Amino acid sequence: MGFTKYWESAKISFNNNLMYKADFLANSLFIGLIIFIFTNLWKVVYSTESGIIEGFTINMMIWYFLLTESIVTSPGKVIETFGEEVQSGEIAHQLNKPYNYVLFKYSSNISETILRFFFTFSIGAIIALTFVGGIIVDWKTLPFIAIVIFLALTLHFCIMALLGVFVFWMEDAKALSFLYNKLVFVIGGMILPLEIFPPWLAKISAVLPFSYVAYHPAKLFVMFSWDSFFKVALTEIAWIVVTIGLIAIFYNFFIKKLSINGG
Amino acid sequence: MATRQNLELFKEYIKVNISMALEYRFSFVVQTITMVLNDLVWILFWWIFFSRFEIINGWTMQHMIMLYALLTFSYGTGSVFFGNKSHLSSIISEGRLDFYLSLPKNILFHTLISRSNWFGLGDIIFGLTMAGIVLSIKQWPLFLLLSIISATILIAFAILAHSLAFFFGEASETARSLNMGITTLASYPYNIFGGAVKVIMLTILPAGFITGIPVELLYDFNLIGLLSTLGFAILFLTISVLVFYKGLRKYESGSMITTRI
Repeated sequence: MGFTKYWESAKISFNNNLMYKADFLANSLFIGLIIFIFTNLWKVVYSTESGIIEGFTINMMIWYFLLTESIVTSPGKVIETFGEEVQSGEIAHQLNKPYNYVLFKYSSNISETILRFFFTFSIGAIIALTFVGGIIVDWKTLPFIAIVIFLALTLHFCIMALLGVFVFWMEDAKALSFLYNKLVFVIGGMILPLEIFPPWLAKISAVLPFSYVAYHPAKLFVMFSWDSFFKVALTEIAWIVVTIGLIAIFYNFFIKKLSINGG
Repeated sequence: MATRQNLELFKEYIKVNISMALEYRFSFVVQTITMVLNDLVWILFWWIFFSRFEIINGWTMQHMIMLYALLTFSYGTGSVFFGNKSHLSSIISEGRLDFYLSLPKNILFHTLISRSNWFGLGDIIFGLTMAGIVLSIKQWPLFLLLSIISATILIAFAILAHSLAFFFGEASETARSLNMGITTLASYPYNIFGGAVKVIMLTILPAGFITGIPVELLYDFNLIGLLSTLGFAILFLTISVLVFYKGLRKYESGSMITTRI
């Protein structure tokens, strides 16, 4: 009973987003362009190397990048949405409703995110197949990879929601969003697998939550092992629990300080 | 005479926009620092990349710093002084051009300059810092000239993309994606592309003229390269202005009453 409203909110958001196919397509085509650029970049790099770089063939490198890019870009502008609602005063209406504000945001966001993920991944896959070809994936492992991706998308949302809660205090969402995205791009291993990093930086990045959004799930996709699956899934769950705890603490703290003007 | 009036208007808008930015000092400082950090992260990425691979088709880390100096400085200049270049399509589709149409000023110029995006200041600071790291004193005049050319092409491309709103009604998302696309293309080593892609990058998506050719000119100057880049920028700007005014004939007023405070 308690969760029905969140399930309904997810369904409404999913259907709403199906209406905006053009927006989805524009976004997915942009991701397609980036994958095309990276395909060119890696082709040049691989032409001077021995065919395998740090365990990755060119196909693995491109499909790795396709997956990280699809995960990281799919949730859309979560932090900005928090910011807009705080700045416009819409938050006052939202907080009055009989639901948990953050959980409601998650339920409406996750359905949109999954839809966007499939759009982006499909368009990127066409480009990857056209320019470099496919990779060998054991079909039996796909449900487990899907679990890790779902957890990565949830962790990604949780970190953005945590930063979004800080907008109640900072009132500048764009800055936080910029910085978080760039952290995931680089430190999270979205653009380059951590194996390319200098060892000291790779070690730091590997334990931070950002790499559980991008690097670890994508590496599991191109180099599956059961050991890695359990390690990645459990660590993702642990980080999700930690961020939810932090959201609860800071949400209760900032909500008391939130000043709502006008009427 | 008209040029002097436009310059006066430009000066006045700069003053107004600076005082507006200083009104929200905290946000202004946060935005500037954020953009510097944002640009710095890209340099970190390329540093990691070139630490491992050192040279890509003749390009090194130094080329990339030069590229980012040019791109961020020219993009930042465009954003600070012609801030409405990113909002033109919504201004058109929401009927907000009425305000500019009713005044005896150059419509396109007035629309573009009437807003500043202060995230751009971070780009300007970052671009100048990077240029300071890699350029010799002798290279600075050429760098500044090439930055003006790059900024002109970026602004012209934004005008073209946002003018789609005249013909299709709503084009904000398309224009945003096109502008992100060209900036993204311009932020990678130009010579990783070949064949048809290079042709596209020197014509309809002129990212090659924004960073690729200018970086190569800074390393290995030749007059023909400079003149063709300059010529392309002038031609591209002319086309974008013509398309804007052609589209303006299709413009429908929203009859919206607004107050500008």
